[in-house]
Amino acid sequence: MFFTAKQIQRRLLDILTPTLGVLAVLAPMQAQAVPSFARQTGQNCVSCHAGGQFPELTPYGRMFKMTGYTIGSRAMPLAVMGVVNYAKVADTTKSDDPAADFQKDGSAVLSSGSLFIAGKITDNIGLFSQISYDNFAVANDDGSFSGHTSADNIDLRYADRFVDANRDLIVGVSLNNNPSVVDPWNTAAAWMQYVPAASLGSHQFADANTPFPGYGSGGNIAGVSAYMFWNKTVYAELGTYRTANQGLAFMSAGVPDGELTKLSGNNNPYWRLAVTREWGPHNLMVGTSGMIAHVYDTGSDTDPDNLGLYRNTGIDAQYQYLLDPHTFTAQVAYMRQVQTYSATAVADASAAATYVLADGVTPVDAANPTDTTNIFRAKVSYVYQAKYGGSLAFFNKTGTSNTLNQTSGFDPVGCEGTVVCSASSTRVGGNLSGNPATSGITYEAFWIPRQNIRIGAQYTAYSKFNGASDNYDGFGRNAKDNNTLFAYVWFVY
Amino acid sequence: MKGISLLPVLAMLALASGCSNLERSRDLANPNVPPEVTAVQVCSICHGIDGNSVSPNFPRLAGQQAGYLVAQLENFRSHQRSDPPGFEYMWGISHHLTDEQFKGLAEYFARQTPTSNAPVEASQMTAGKVIFENGVPAKEAAPCIACHGPQAQGMATFPRLANQHQDYLIKQLHVFQETEGRPGTPMKQITHLLSPQEIIDVSGYLQAFPSEK
Repeated sequence: MFFTAKQIQRRLLDILTPTLGVLAVLAPMQAQAVPSFARQTGQNCVSCHAGGQFPELTPYGRMFKMTGYTIGSRAMPLAVMGVVNYAKVADTTKSDDPAADFQKDGSAVLSSGSLFIAGKITDNIGLFSQISYDNFAVANDDGSFSGHTSADNIDLRYADRFVDANRDLIVGVSLNNNPSVVDPWNTAAAWMQYVPAASLGSHQFADANTPFPGYGSGGNIAGVSAYMFWNKTVYAELGTYRTANQGLAFMSAGVPDGELTKLSGNNNPYWRLAVTREWGPHNLMVGTSGMIAHVYDTGSDTDPDNLGLYRNTGIDAQYQYLLDPHTFTAQVAYMRQVQTYSATAVADASAAATYVLADGVTPVDAANPTDTTNIFRAKVSYVYQAKYGGSLAFFNKTGTSNTLNQTSGFDPVGCEGTVVCSASSTRVGGNLSGNPATSGITYEAFWIPRQNIRIGAQYTAYSKFNGASDNYDGFGRNAKDNNTLFAYVWFVY
Repeated sequence: MKGISLLPVLAMLALASGCSNLERSRDLANPNVPPEVTAVQVCSICHGIDGNSVSPNFPRLAGQQAGYLVAQLENFRSHQRSDPPGFEYMWGISHHLTDEQFKGLAEYFARQTPTSNAPVEASQMTAGKVIFENGVPAKEAAPCIACHGPQAQGMATFPRLANQHQDYLIKQLHVFQETEGRPGTPMKQITHLLSPQEIIDVSGYLQAFPSEK
């Protein structure tokens, strides 16, 4: 192991000190400490969230969502969520600038917070929206940080349920900003990740930043999707997305223009099909999903040479066993992504091919116009009495090698046969092979002392990072050097 | 949608849908929502549209005594019943419902037809039947049949037990025995006389209750 018992003890004390401060502040408010949906239904969090693990939903929680967040009565629709966390990376010495590469390593920080505006609007319309604040969004030249607030998940929907003894049909339409945010299952790309991580360098290897199945377009785009759930058996959803600008600019509010995903036109379809069954305390879902997105690279959003294409296809499954006091969940998700790069990106990569092979002479291959990546993730979790829990997750990303993705390498100028610390080479985050392979396991234990507070620790161990187990950046850094202890206190009010 | 401000669109959508849709409402604080609508739109999610719930976390309500259901809804609303599933789910559900809605919900589930439940081990059937019909004379524990009826069909505020989930019955018997979560019933005294195995046996027998005796 990379940490002695004494080191872990000291680090836990580091994080517990601010934690106790947060708890002391929240304690007087506990009697009414429920976020907006719980206020609306009057129900406990575990009614909708399996074993109190957010955001994973129970069968009842899924029905609450699919019926448009309309069960209950209108209530104060605001809630806040915050995360205090601590991260420690196994090796911070193999770096040119540890202070920059591992900012706040070994320090407890208030990393991020969210404001939720969520609730029933009419008998058929409901809203889930999240505005998030990243306390460390921008690293300033003087070593300080600037926080940043932007629109996170938004899901405004209209739903109706036609149910009698012979049929049960839920239909709905959602205006949203993230493909699969509408999905009621936790293996959907928008929901499998549950513990946010700040953008700090010391958090770059924590579980939240390991490969997760996702869509090439990312979030903060604008789309409409229609869905149906038939006889509590078949779920189907079809939608299409566009750039979140003009009348839909609020869906990307706060996102700087340079970071905004710009899609070509309105024809960027997303689809989802899932089959589910409930028997006794068990429920199972098997599903598939996909998206085709035409995404402009940074720069022109009109030049066709600047346009890339992502084609995603995924399969996923979730099994839950819910019988008080036990909550057991098993999840698997697989996503294949075929990315066709823009003509400009390929041309630029070819023109700027400064790297050579280790002999210092032979040029690396020309950039490929297309890459395929596969991300597989499996996770099991168990929670007892909605209080004490743990999980084990396995992630494995594989894909084609492409010099276009090489961010570290051998420079032919000056020092043949050696790795050159030129500006275009990157330590720690660099990729010498141009291959994306990253795999590992995350172990987690957590405690939910009250339904709106969760205290946990994760340890993520890498067997591969950026294409290799050893020397992945060309400067001697190994995958296991990135192993990270991540401890957090999550709270919602 | 180019150039169209979203706000008027949303306002029109809200107007078009109206503020309430009484035929298919899931509003739990509107006294005008018919109880049959609440039963199928909300209660059915956990208890089943015919009251024969799938998950043993949630009791079966099909054929349940209306008097018992009204009494329980009142106990949830007044927070007198505080077993965990009770307060986690039902305090909120019952909070704003009216007495009239309670009555209508109770009648809806009382008129549903109970279906048979999963079988249990033969040893539980044998031992459970004895407890159900004779109690445990050595401990002076009264038989279930005395209050719940020969078909375990219940009577007024004594609940129907036939075909109820074994896991639900076991948990409730332990609530009676070990907590003050369900005050004001004779079950506190009776469950004190039962061993853990006797609770398992009689609950198993009731889950797989024979349709013809």
